[in-house]
Amino acid sequence: MNKKNLKLKFYKYNIGKFFVQIFMAFVSLVMVTPFLWMFLSALKTQQEIRAFPPTLFPDTAMWFNFIETWTSAPFDRYIFNSFFTATSIVILHIVTTAMFAYAITQLTFKTRGFLFGLIMATYMLPVAVTYVPSYIILARLGWLDSYQGIIFSNSVSVFAIFLARQSFLQVPREMVDAAKVDGAGHWHILWHVFLPLTKPIFITFGLINFVLMYNNYLWPLMIIRSREMYLITIGLRQFFIEQGSYGVKWPLIMAASTIVVTPLLLLFFVAQKWFIKGIGGTGIKG
Amino acid sequence: MKTNKNSMKQKFTEKLKNEKMVAFGFCLPALIPLTVFWIGPMIFAFYLSLTDWDFMSKTYNIVWLRNYYSLFQNPEFYRTLRNTLYFTAGSVIPAVLGGLLLAIMLNRKLPGRNLYRTLIFSPWITPMVAMAIVWSWMFNPSSGLVNYLFSLVNLPALPWASSSTWAMPVVIIVSVWRTLGWAMVFYLVALDGIPDDIYDAARIDGVNFWSKLRYITLPLVSPTTLFLSVVLTVQALRAFDQIDIITQGGPAGATRTLLYEYYQTAFQKFNAGRAASIGVIILLIASVFALIQFWLSKKYVHYQ
Repeated sequence: MNKKNLKLKFYKYNIGKFFVQIFMAFVSLVMVTPFLWMFLSALKTQQEIRAFPPTLFPDTAMWFNFIETWTSAPFDRYIFNSFFTATSIVILHIVTTAMFAYAITQLTFKTRGFLFGLIMATYMLPVAVTYVPSYIILARLGWLDSYQGIIFSNSVSVFAIFLARQSFLQVPREMVDAAKVDGAGHWHILWHVFLPLTKPIFITFGLINFVLMYNNYLWPLMIIRSREMYLITIGLRQFFIEQGSYGVKWPLIMAASTIVVTPLLLLFFVAQKWFIKGIGGTGIKG
Repeated sequence: MKTNKNSMKQKFTEKLKNEKMVAFGFCLPALIPLTVFWIGPMIFAFYLSLTDWDFMSKTYNIVWLRNYYSLFQNPEFYRTLRNTLYFTAGSVIPAVLGGLLLAIMLNRKLPGRNLYRTLIFSPWITPMVAMAIVWSWMFNPSSGLVNYLFSLVNLPALPWASSSTWAMPVVIIVSVWRTLGWAMVFYLVALDGIPDDIYDAARIDGVNFWSKLRYITLPLVSPTTLFLSVVLTVQALRAFDQIDIITQGGPAGATRTLLYEYYQTAFQKFNAGRAASIGVIILLIASVFALIQFWLSKKYVHYQ
């Protein structure tokens, strides 16, 4: 009786596991379907893509669609703009974050609690309120439609400060004191003691913020006008509108989307442990 | 002895003073941009919302609360408000619940766990603009993938983004698709943090799955639930890309949210004052949401 019960339990357990496997596989498939469909559609002809019922694979893969897309808009320029601004922004984030987090965790001054509260409050508030006034400020500075406008208006990351503060608080006091006894100044301690010890957190927010900046759309859309300044997201939308105006060339649009998405998917699959650990490990305890 | 003590004290105050200067210098690189592009604009926005400025004119009038008044007089504004609430609830609740469900299913030693996690999370990495374009093609009423799959299971073909009923669900589906895996990863970490012996004790006591969920898992992940609902709400209030690509606020204003209205008022109608007042309203709504969430959290959130 007892044995039979156990067997039943085992059986039930395995059925449950099997069901979970099927379910998770299904969910995963649904999540990546847009990527697969984008890629397969990019290889179809104009007739094939319009066929109903749709075919899964194209008869012959039209790799030429990618060449045609690449040559019909300055995608190289767009990608350069996005990579250049996103990289510059991330470098600024590292500097501003490290210095600020050091100050509020290692130095004693009256307003430090207030400053941290202020920064956290801005994280909770919707950016939307600041768009129009920031636009006006950028216009006054003469920085609309320029690299420095994009870069400096994004040069602080509250999310990064929050993360860095968490890990700076965990740096052992003795190491700081030891460095001080050796006569090291704050500047030296920050870059030679704290940064090496908390490097993972900098890699994490560096990657995440790079992705966020590469994907940024609304704010650049407001402050950028000229075509040679377009970021990749705006360039893609422009391409979408232009190709849409004469008989929607969906295969080319899908090829363009593939060109935009692929670098990020590659980056993610190479560095995914930083993304996933970093994202999950943040924010909750605070 | 005394002089020694005095000089030590002097040294200490000097050090403090020095530390203050260092602290100031270290905060400055973050504080300058923060003041110029965050805090300053926030205050500036309130002032701007009391004017009728159009971005270009040399002069403008202070109209006091007239921008707000005309907004509240306009029935279209209430529609926009409803759309915003619809979109927020529709995109936050499924992401939080779905993320929790997926995390619970993944939280055992399931073979392939890492692969599932990677695939489900991957949408979060990709540019919304590009994927919204892909989704708008998949939701194409005449030759899209979604209607084809519907036809396989004998569901009627729907007009999706071109119908005022279905346009909002499309935008919501695209948003949830992107944030679901992100929410799941937060829950996975929270679940990993629950000590095994709690579950072991429950198992020995013969507690069933639902009671475990109700009395152990949900209370212990409640800080994550609070965090996710706050952050996802703020994100929902700033959702723009998918709306701009898929529907442009249409058809007939069915997907026009407050943020979209804000964008159109500012950068298509060039009415800076009125746009600023919409921005202030978005800020107020976000604050109300945050207050409600914190109030609820006082009752239901348990910190270990």
